[in-house]
Amino acid sequence: MDKEKRNKDLIDKSKQVIREAFEKYDSSKCAITWTGGKDSTTDLWIIRQVCTEENIPLPQVITIDEGDAFPEITDFLVRISQKWHIDLKWLCNFDVLTACLSHLGNTVQVERLNKRNQEELKRIGFTEDSFVFEAESFAGNHLMKTVVLNEFLEESKTELLFMALRRDEQAARKEDEYFTPKEGGYLLPEHTRVSPILHFTERDIWDNTHLHNLPYCPLYKIGYRSLGARSSSNPGDIGVPAWEQDLENVPERAGRRQDKEKAMERLRKLGYM
Amino acid sequence: MKNIILLTVDTLRKDSLGIYNDKENLTPFLDSLMNHSLVFTRFHSSGPYTQASFPGILTSSYYLEYGRPQKLSPRRVVISEALQKANITTAAFHSNPYLSDYFGWNRGWDVFYDSMQDEVSDMIPYVRGDQINQKVKSWLDRYIQTDSRKPFFLWTHYMDVHEPYVPKKQYLQLVDSSISMSEQEMFDLFKNTLLKRDTSNPQLVHLLHKLYRAGVRETDDYIKDFFNILQQNQVLENSIIIFTTDHGDEFGEHKGLSHDGKFYSELVDSPFMIIDFDQNQKKTCHNLVSNLDIAPTILHLFDIPPEEKFEGQSLLPIDRYQERGVFGEAIGKTGSHEKPTDLPVYYYRENNIKIIYYQDQERWEIYDLELDPAEQNNLIHSYPRAGELKEKLLPRVNRWENR
Repeated sequence: MDKEKRNKDLIDKSKQVIREAFEKYDSSKCAITWTGGKDSTTDLWIIRQVCTEENIPLPQVITIDEGDAFPEITDFLVRISQKWHIDLKWLCNFDVLTACLSHLGNTVQVERLNKRNQEELKRIGFTEDSFVFEAESFAGNHLMKTVVLNEFLEESKTELLFMALRRDEQAARKEDEYFTPKEGGYLLPEHTRVSPILHFTERDIWDNTHLHNLPYCPLYKIGYRSLGARSSSNPGDIGVPAWEQDLENVPERAGRRQDKEKAMERLRKLGYM
Repeated sequence: MKNIILLTVDTLRKDSLGIYNDKENLTPFLDSLMNHSLVFTRFHSSGPYTQASFPGILTSSYYLEYGRPQKLSPRRVVISEALQKANITTAAFHSNPYLSDYFGWNRGWDVFYDSMQDEVSDMIPYVRGDQINQKVKSWLDRYIQTDSRKPFFLWTHYMDVHEPYVPKKQYLQLVDSSISMSEQEMFDLFKNTLLKRDTSNPQLVHLLHKLYRAGVRETDDYIKDFFNILQQNQVLENSIIIFTTDHGDEFGEHKGLSHDGKFYSELVDSPFMIIDFDQNQKKTCHNLVSNLDIAPTILHLFDIPPEEKFEGQSLLPIDRYQERGVFGEAIGKTGSHEKPTDLPVYYYRENNIKIIYYQDQERWEIYDLELDPAEQNNLIHSYPRAGELKEKLLPRVNRWENR
């Protein structure tokens, strides 16, 4: 199929999902997550178009600072939010950063954290007195990412969260649906997540980026394919731009440490060590 | 050619199924399949917990065949890899972290759902059967629309019977309406009794077993829903379903709880049946067989030549099966996780005699399963053929170290 035709179909599908979201939820009850990565930038770009077309105010855009961000990503977020006139909300768990003196690898004493952070650790079954601050470690990941997001959802009373997951990111996502309701619970606000670009492949993202001249973080140009925390992301083929790499045969997240952490977290829960 | 479906329930004791003479009707749906089933009465797991048993099921090889690595050895062949090569669609849906992508079990699958990217509740570290079914349904619906001419191999695995034993309320009601416990109370019982392997209070052990049995009853409903999904997509008639577990569970029979590194019947005597709707009466097979025989059977059913690295043999046709005793091996762990200092345990069974070797303390046990099915009287000092049995097991001990 012709590249441009495919691109148009992909975008049309995303727009249809976004319109459906705005039919169900008022824009003021929605929020958009933006990491500065290629997927969420594409996602945000399409949502902005729908908002302009339908005359809907752009929902609150948020980004989560895990305390270990690439300066290139931070710079990209600042530059593009100015260019696109976006009032970006930075979320960060400053309590944890204070406890580890903003230094990766430092030990955080649990008793020095605020009550909410302590409660959250209890909630996920973490019972040790201290942990080493690393963004994608079990306790660190939860406090720096999940907790700040939960707190934001709760305070802003957000009901719908725009995400930028893609089905081809991992085999485990192949069966994902566009809308996923998240059950509420203790410290866990009930909400729905929607991923309008779920059907885009990694290749589609790059085709779209080039076709429409979307901005992207320069790290992709030097070989990174997937950007997480600085200390847990590694480039794929060093020096080869992401879009020129073997996207079809080498897993996108091969450079990230997250999968190991996920597995370890479940095993910990299984044995409640 | 028929599709093959491997349906496994984690931690399912053989004696909780009506087919194997349980009297409390915990598995009404499974029992209703009896007349389309070939039921095996002497099927054995090669390991007493997931990591030790699943290499048997999906790679037809023993747990310690390639040493003690944490991840699946690249030298093993997963049944999905063999099938994918033969142009059969392969799909897996499960929620056992030990079988996740991270540990290398994603090899050879066209679709591999291990739930690791999904959030799980604080108490239960896996997704429930209804969620697994939902994933299966959306895959199958799409598959039937697009690819239906190609046969598939589907593996579905439920975790709901596995500890922490927090069944849904309505199933506890069905199993014992006199018990009323909140989820938190069930979880506390698990933490304070099961995790500590504390069998000192028989009433608490009994209560744990009740909760476990409610989980079995709950899972029977998920299996029923699963079969409905197959039927709605009109693949039921055209599929053969292989049903089994990875291992059982202990409730104080040998002074323990859960499933540690032991080889008694509550852990390795497992349910196994082959369901085919073209068959209309119950058949029974008494061959002494192992879970290493599953993968070769799947190849046989797909009419694919045997895989060299598979150590088992096809269970079908029944009369061509050559009994040669069954082996198993694990690490003698106590608790959910193996420690590097834990040493291996091995077992071998032929006819009705079982021999076990604990490398720790170099301890041997022999049981006569006909006279002593509960495995309480160790015959190591009196059994006349003890020396001969030891000879059969010893070559397996630490065999990888000499390679």
